[in-house]
Amino acid sequence: MGLTGLEIFKQLPKKNCKECGQPTCLAFAMQLAAGKASLDACPYVSDAAREALDAASAPPVALVKIGVGEKAFQIGNETVLFRHDKRFEHPTGIAIQVSDNEDVKAKVDQINKLVFDRVGQVHEVNMVAVSNDSGDAAKFADAVKTAQDNTSYPLLLISSDTGAMEKALEIAGANKPVVYAADANNYEAMVALAKKYEAPLVVKGSDLNSLAELVEKVAGLGYKNLILDSGAREFSKVVADQTQIRRQALKLFRPFGYPTIAFANNDDPIMESVNASTYVAKYAGIVVMTSAAPEHILPVITLRLNVYTDPQKPIAVESKIYEILNPGPDAPVLITTNFSLSYFCVAGDTEASRVPAYIIPVDTDGISVLTAWAAGKFTPETIADTVKKLGILEKVNHNSIIIPGGVAVLSGKTAELLGAEVIVGPRESAGIPSFFKQRWLNK
Amino acid sequence: MAVTIAKERWTSKVAEMTLGPNGLKVGGETTLPFLHFEGEMPNRPVTALEVFDMEPQDWPDILKEPFADVLSDPVAWAKKIVEYGADMVALRLMSAHPDWKDASADEVAKTAKAVAEAIDVPLIVLGCGVEEKDGQILPVVAEALEGKRCLIGCATAENYKSITAASNAYGHSVIASSPLDINLCKQLNILITEMGLSLDRIAFDPLVGALGYGIEYAYSIMERARMGALTGDKMLATPIVCFVGMEAWKAKEAKDPDVPEWGPQADRAILWEVTTATTFAIAGGTIFILRHPESVKRFNAFINEAMKSNAY
Amino acid sequence: MFEIIGERINGLFLDIREAIANKDPKPVRDWAVKQAQAGAYWLDVNTGPIASKEEQAEVMAWLVKTAQEAVELPCCIDTTNVLAMEEGLKVHKGKAMINSTTAEQAKMDALFPLAANYGAAIVALTMNEKGVPKSAEDRIALAMELVANADAYGIPMPDLYIDPLVLPVNVAQEHGPEVLEALRQVKLLANPAPKTTCGLSNISQKAPNRPLINRTFLAMAMVCGLDSAVMDACDDELVDTAATASIILNQSIYCDSYLKIFRQK
Ligand code: SF4
Repeated sequence: MGLTGLEIFKQLPKKNCKECGQPTCLAFAMQLAAGKASLDACPYVSDAAREALDAASAPPVALVKIGVGEKAFQIGNETVLFRHDKRFEHPTGIAIQVSDNEDVKAKVDQINKLVFDRVGQVHEVNMVAVSNDSGDAAKFADAVKTAQDNTSYPLLLISSDTGAMEKALEIAGANKPVVYAADANNYEAMVALAKKYEAPLVVKGSDLNSLAELVEKVAGLGYKNLILDSGAREFSKVVADQTQIRRQALKLFRPFGYPTIAFANNDDPIMESVNASTYVAKYAGIVVMTSAAPEHILPVITLRLNVYTDPQKPIAVESKIYEILNPGPDAPVLITTNFSLSYFCVAGDTEASRVPAYIIPVDTDGISVLTAWAAGKFTPETIADTVKKLGILEKVNHNSIIIPGGVAVLSGKTAELLGAEVIVGPRESAGIPSFFKQRWLNK
Repeated sequence: MAVTIAKERWTSKVAEMTLGPNGLKVGGETTLPFLHFEGEMPNRPVTALEVFDMEPQDWPDILKEPFADVLSDPVAWAKKIVEYGADMVALRLMSAHPDWKDASADEVAKTAKAVAEAIDVPLIVLGCGVEEKDGQILPVVAEALEGKRCLIGCATAENYKSITAASNAYGHSVIASSPLDINLCKQLNILITEMGLSLDRIAFDPLVGALGYGIEYAYSIMERARMGALTGDKMLATPIVCFVGMEAWKAKEAKDPDVPEWGPQADRAILWEVTTATTFAIAGGTIFILRHPESVKRFNAFINEAMKSNAY
Repeated sequence: MFEIIGERINGLFLDIREAIANKDPKPVRDWAVKQAQAGAYWLDVNTGPIASKEEQAEVMAWLVKTAQEAVELPCCIDTTNVLAMEEGLKVHKGKAMINSTTAEQAKMDALFPLAANYGAAIVALTMNEKGVPKSAEDRIALAMELVANADAYGIPMPDLYIDPLVLPVNVAQEHGPEVLEALRQVKLLANPAPKTTCGLSNISQKAPNRPLINRTFLAMAMVCGLDSAVMDACDDELVDTAATASIILNQSIYCDSYLKIFRQK
């Protein structure tokens, strides 16, 4: 994103001395904004102004890489406040916290199991956060070692004690863990440590002002591989701060041009889960939780999947035979497209009908029934091919399929191609239960 | 370093609706959800629990259990809902469905009246979901409930005329329901206002999907509608109804008692319903129609936190 | 949302001139109502030529009051007489618009503080003592001066309406593309960007097919970033064009009744 003339003008010395070859500073600013001049032409620009102008050409939210190897991931590079404006780029990393006071191995084993399959894709948590609750550097180092030996997820090291952090990094530093955190008291030492291992560093303020101030100091030490924590822990404050940081970043307020971390930690695991989900939707780059129970994590992972889908790209489900409620040979065969929402609607309403059925999504590149029909992707040919390829009619004893009511016109030709009966179903999936009741079960 | 707080200069607001004998207010916000630092959210998002006028056929045990003794008595069921702390009762006239009892307008109106008489919170009356039938029964129900300031739904592009006319005549508000399409939502709101019902008596329903089942579509519709509302698009500046319970309890993650890798059903099922609701709350949802009393409790705990000041 | 500035309450029109002469509020009120119903967002209010500055100030105050008694719309106070401007602002309810300053330093130093004091929006013309520049580049250089000065006086960019000055197509054809290019570039001057406006009917002065030229230009200018225009709010086809362009540009959420909704405030 380029700088505007006004933003540049504000950084110029306003001498109007013409040495840059332009009649005024304003004219020079315009030339710069249009990319027709170089800042070097003005001999009077201060270093601070130069830096501000350089920084302003960086992306609004820096990209931060976490970990190494297969489980490494990235956060940041976001460009919008609302997913409908474009999309959210890098899904929130979910970190599960383990204390160096507890049985680290047992909890890490639990965390390793937080892997879920959803319509053919694997979704999992991303980090193990080890916190130095004991206050003991050796114990922390042991816990970090145990965690590292037992998981391939990147680590988040939580300690404000620079001595403890140094020991932990001796063990885990090569794997680029996140260092948490540089605060007003320890930032010089923490920055030195993070620099040494090129590890992402969380900068922690006590509010937005102190955060901005500290980021400036850390940046002044030459380190910019940063993640932000405003220090807020109360839910409504976290939402406000996360919103502010994203808004300011998009306005190119440089101290906030980094991804964030939010802590959902709560003794009540249901509140923790719900808050974590909100932070996923409201801009957190990393969200930390303490529960490693699947029932608390699955909703957060699922919401992340939903919110971070690209609104401009339909999501597709795999084109295969889906069995709802253990269908037998007399179960109906419903045809739809592989647009995930079409499939989910049909699957949900079929389940609601309590009639076991097969669902066959035809591969339409993930677009919906009517759009796919209009685009020539949901046709008698594609339907017949899919039905034959998947061999669904060999599984049933009735030689018939049901197509969506919206594409009733396809029934004749499809029947011909398939040598099977083609029944026209309801237009909306909500009509499936009564369709089954009236048209299928009495058949 | 002092940070200049970024506040939007919103020029418009969401209409405020008043419901029920207790004058419950919803909507009226002048900023995006929970951004108290730049605007007002004069009313918190509210909850309703559903009552069926006949024993529900497809509810899992975990959902039936809190209502075990009242499932066949809508009046007792409604009272129980109030005890459980829901802000409203949502009566679903399932018996009118041609596939079930095909009950007549007079029959269901009687039930609706009995339920309304038994409670002192607002009543939401929902038809059976068959547009044609709802277009016939809801006007009769609206008349029977005259003066109760109910919320009546769902009015669709097919049946809105009779439902709107009756709601207007007998002092109710309507739910305008359009399938996952912001343009249709807006158009239906317009058609309803053109019949003389004011915007503060319309709530729209974008047909939400549950967590994991297309939640992001309605999520973005709500965010867009709220942005529109705050920047002057009045026709989408109405409260939003979210049929969360109906959708969340279709999900396997809520219904299935026995999937070891997803953990025990109790927390998982409640979280499915609550997370679906809270996600819509942060997108701009106003009225949340839920099914499990524990979800109401959890949702309210969330809203309590979210309503705390975050002024700078 | 595109903002129509209704041009009709102007002493250059005979009925308004007579109304002013007779202190007859009816024509002013009628036009206020008519333009509001037609979709105006602002009402341009201009006394027409009046010799005495004091008298003009008095008339301006009367026009503003009369218009605002009839409708709830804000006025765009259109005068070069600073005294009349201030009298208009004094009686105005809500956020007014000042029409206009140029990039002449003396004017900017007089009018920007006035806008800041009254919290008013302000139209700023890309011209100075040397007149109207031709190239987009020169128009933008003046726009930049306007932006920098407005910013220095604390005027929020969304309250600044840059007018790149539309000239008649029959005599100044070569200005057309320059104006369109200038509209595009204004949006790059600051973040948030200033708004833009123009006197739309200038484009078709003394040419045949005026309505066609007006609405063609409007659609083209909106693509380039035109946010508002002083125009004939009662030209239905022109307003339909604005509504349709605004829908195509995704400035408001589509619905089948969009032409009607565009006119409602
Ligand atoms: S050289 Fe620098 S100070 Fe002099 S006019 Fe150019 S920009 Fe302004």
